[in-house]
Amino acid sequence: MATEKKLEVKNLVISFKTNNGKVQAVRNISFDLYKGETLAIVGESGSGKSVTSRAIMGILAGNAIPEGGKILYGDKDLMKISEEEFHRIRGDKIAMVFQDPLSSLNPIMRVGAQLTEAMLLKNKASRREAKKNMSRVFKALESNMEAAGVSNAKEDIAKFRKFSLKHCELESAYTAAVSSAQEAVAIGEHIVRRIDNKAFDAVSSDIHDFERAALGSVSYFVVREKADDLKTRVGTIKSAHKGKDFATVAKEITACCEILKEALSYEVPNTFTLGYYLTFEKNEIPKVSVEELNAMTHKATEEDFMNEFLANAEKAVRYSAKTTDAHRAETSKLIREKLSLFKGNPDRSQCEAAIKTLKSKVNECLDPLEVIKDSLTHTFDTSIDYAASLYFDGNTRNEKEKKRFEKQTAKHDAIIAKGKTPEWEVIPASYVDLDAARADMESTLVEMADHFDAQIKDNQTADYSARALEVIDFLKELAQESVYKITRAMAREKAVKLMDSVGIDEPRRRFKQYPFEFSGGMRQRIVIAIALTANPDILICDEPTTALDVTIQAQILELINNLKRERDLSVIFITHDLGVVANMADRIAVMYAGKIVEYGTAADIFYSPAHPYTWALLSSVPDLDTKEKLESIPGTPPNMIYPPKGDAFADRNKYALEIDFEEQPPMFKVSDTHYAATWLLHPDAPKVDPPKIVTERIARMRGESK
Amino acid sequence: MSNPNQNDVILKVEHLSMYFGKGQYAKKAVNDVSFDIHRGEVFGLVGESGCGKTTTGRTIIKLYNATSGSVYYKGQRIVAGTLSYNQEIKAKKAEIKELSKQGGKEAEIAECRKRISELREEIRSAKHDQKHCDDDYCKKHLADLKEEYDAKISAAPESEKEALRQEYSTLVSRTKNSKLVTQIQMIYQDPIASLDPRMTVREIIAEGLQIQGVKDKEYIQEQVYKMLETVGLVREHATRYPHEFSGGQRQRIGIARSIIMNPEIIIADEPISALDVSIRAQVINLLNELCQKMGLTILFIAHDLSVVKYFSNRIGVMYFGNLVELADSDELFRCPLHPYTRSLLSAIPLPDPETEKNRKRIRYDPLVDHEITDEAPEFREVISGHFVRCTLKEFEAYKEKAMQ
Repeated sequence: MATEKKLEVKNLVISFKTNNGKVQAVRNISFDLYKGETLAIVGESGSGKSVTSRAIMGILAGNAIPEGGKILYGDKDLMKISEEEFHRIRGDKIAMVFQDPLSSLNPIMRVGAQLTEAMLLKNKASRREAKKNMSRVFKALESNMEAAGVSNAKEDIAKFRKFSLKHCELESAYTAAVSSAQEAVAIGEHIVRRIDNKAFDAVSSDIHDFERAALGSVSYFVVREKADDLKTRVGTIKSAHKGKDFATVAKEITACCEILKEALSYEVPNTFTLGYYLTFEKNEIPKVSVEELNAMTHKATEEDFMNEFLANAEKAVRYSAKTTDAHRAETSKLIREKLSLFKGNPDRSQCEAAIKTLKSKVNECLDPLEVIKDSLTHTFDTSIDYAASLYFDGNTRNEKEKKRFEKQTAKHDAIIAKGKTPEWEVIPASYVDLDAARADMESTLVEMADHFDAQIKDNQTADYSARALEVIDFLKELAQESVYKITRAMAREKAVKLMDSVGIDEPRRRFKQYPFEFSGGMRQRIVIAIALTANPDILICDEPTTALDVTIQAQILELINNLKRERDLSVIFITHDLGVVANMADRIAVMYAGKIVEYGTAADIFYSPAHPYTWALLSSVPDLDTKEKLESIPGTPPNMIYPPKGDAFADRNKYALEIDFEEQPPMFKVSDTHYAATWLLHPDAPKVDPPKIVTERIARMRGESK
Repeated sequence: MSNPNQNDVILKVEHLSMYFGKGQYAKKAVNDVSFDIHRGEVFGLVGESGCGKTTTGRTIIKLYNATSGSVYYKGQRIVAGTLSYNQEIKAKKAEIKELSKQGGKEAEIAECRKRISELREEIRSAKHDQKHCDDDYCKKHLADLKEEYDAKISAAPESEKEALRQEYSTLVSRTKNSKLVTQIQMIYQDPIASLDPRMTVREIIAEGLQIQGVKDKEYIQEQVYKMLETVGLVREHATRYPHEFSGGQRQRIGIARSIIMNPEIIIADEPISALDVSIRAQVINLLNELCQKMGLTILFIAHDLSVVKYFSNRIGVMYFGNLVELADSDELFRCPLHPYTRSLLSAIPLPDPETEKNRKRIRYDPLVDHEITDEAPEFREVISGHFVRCTLKEFEAYKEKAMQ
């Protein structure tokens, strides 16, 4: 199994605020997700499995209270990062497939539009952002260069900026033209096949598509001198199509395809040198072949300018690091001085004033020329504010809570004193732990100061020329992002490929249909394709097959398995049906009432289940040899406004021990990969065998597999 | 599980077809489906979504007007369509035209004419049955009742006569409003959507009785409580609204609503598909219990084969509007003959990682799995009680296979 950890959930606690009180949906769960594996989360509705997945996606409902814990993705904690940062992760890195394919697709939008929508929108937004970022970095670079004593900083930067943008523009125009040409060839061959088969009625809209794609590829690099020829041919196709002369259409399309295929085999132009040539030498492309053009522009490129610019940039980076380090040293010292204020019994007004000055100081410690943003410094504001408000408001909060609890208890007792049984229970008081809150505040500060010291140390030994290169690469990247346009045609090509890869026949025709024209299974495939548009690392499937029937379910499961293998995805698969996951899951976590009650590999869970709840789940599914009465789980899951004191499953568990009602069981280790939270595994517990239906089935399965 | 009476056919479906739309654009949701359901058995109907299993159920209960074919309930025709007769009349008319062109074939023409008038008579009776089957049933029932009570009243002493007359009149009024179709009840798939959110549980369960004309409030109350207890709920639940219940409890309310009419047959249309696994077991156990206690006959429509196997005595497999295989449930799983059934069986997920990882799903493609001939496949009995839709050539092959 792969070893790289993709996602780490640690001690996650999530509650929901409702009119009746606080519902504790997820209570302290932890699990890891490795690269290329499938983790199945199994449980009844209301066990908190969907809430967990939504927390990972950052789409919890508004009344959710994230009470604690961490969700680590890469070096980021998804519970703490800002919404802007989440935009880069949600959908891009972690994608989700929802339960009901009918309600997760827009009924009045064509499937194709829904597939390309995210690609186009994301491109637009990221272009805007890249432009903004680029201006910021250029400005910082300029001011630092000037401060470092570079004479003609302003002109050099203006020159560099113009050139890098031109280079990227050329590159993006070239890729767009190539993809357009490829699309045109694909559609063209399709049309010719259709016309050969005399299927004229379905071909009309394809011909329009072909015309558009063919004209889109008329760029200097792709069709060059034959551009006029291609244009006239497209004109002929148009008029022939109007006159329903399909033979001519087919002939012309074949000819066009020939031209395009030839064009696609040409040498790739060197856009870097060409960009340089266009910016500094002449403002138009000379009419020569690509080979000659490449040679010519290469000659024209001055190596000196680039080298000089790089040296100047290094100076700027060095200067900027030096000034920031000075700030850091100062701030670190200041933090350590103020630390005494937060010890013992801190005074509110003093502390708040100190935090205010510290915040502005810390903000100065961000190096504007650092490519990788320092997330600890970035999030200092929010984390210190959160910690401080928790501590300083904690006293009043605790008092309020105490009052409420006393009042409610009195009311409850009064009803009992009258001889009636009240219909409600007293919500247990939950107090803010003041000591922990204070320690949290202090540790945030110490962590910050230590971090600054470490950074100063790092900077003393840093390789500044490498850093300067990093900055320039970063600028190039931004320039590329700011001009890289995903055209509709490119998005469409990509979407059609995706539809093909999720097993939809005739994607080009299906692309233009509405969701209601698809069957349930096909719709779910579309939803999966949408989730895959951004090439995510992690795919969360929230009951993707519950609304589908058996044959379609098998197809979708196979599809997810194949995609996982092809793209090396990590999958979190949420379901209530244990039968479904036997095929897919590498590891399984069984959840009940917001806790993971059993955790192990698929073989562990199915062949040696240890928790009574897992037994109950297994015995309530009939298999093909079941004849006896099914063992249903009596009752319903507990109301999580009043979570039970002991094991949450004790009430419905016929194997419950006395201690199950008193104390929550810890996770007992069964084997290296297998853990279960039940008192039955305690060495002092009486020996209990799983229900007959389960043991018999396991014996049968073991027998079969041998 | 109770042993169904093999000979007592309670519901007979004959060549039932249900088309949506007309002419060449007709969508043939159900196409020429025939099967019998015996008293006291659970008949499972499986197939993928869109294969027409729900439409079959709804046509039987007269939610749709059948296009052709008929359904007999206890020998009384309750559903009758006319399309097949109309088509035959058309064909006969064309034949007459052809014959008269040839000339000198008076005898054949006369025969055709006779057949046409017969068919017209059939259509008339089908239309009558479709529309007035309840009236016929009521009339018959009332006559029986009159006979019974006339004898009773004349035999009884003077003091009891008045009470008997009272009883007779209430029974008459109830019988007048009763419908044959109410003896077939339906349980719907989605327990949330099938219960009116603005009605209390009492109103929901009692609605059927009220429509039937029962005015005795105490009787209704009594019945509602009885039904609630039968399905494992408590009396207090009667005043609550559907949203206050969990999924499994809601499905119980749906079941209570259908059994209060004292039905003989229940059509359960995917009653467990929308439920959680642990609750599924509760509902299946409840249906099983009711089946034994009340002697119900159930037409169980589902796509989850492992549940259908567990629950049903006989299973019919549907594919694109056609019934492709019908057999005892053990027999069907022992020896699935039709390639579609085999593909369906291969798709069942099992709670066993080892076998699951080695599982090969069989794909069904009608163009590949059947030899293409001009012969239309027919529904044939391969061995006793095991029917398959096949061509004659396939029939021989299946027969050989089933014997092994």
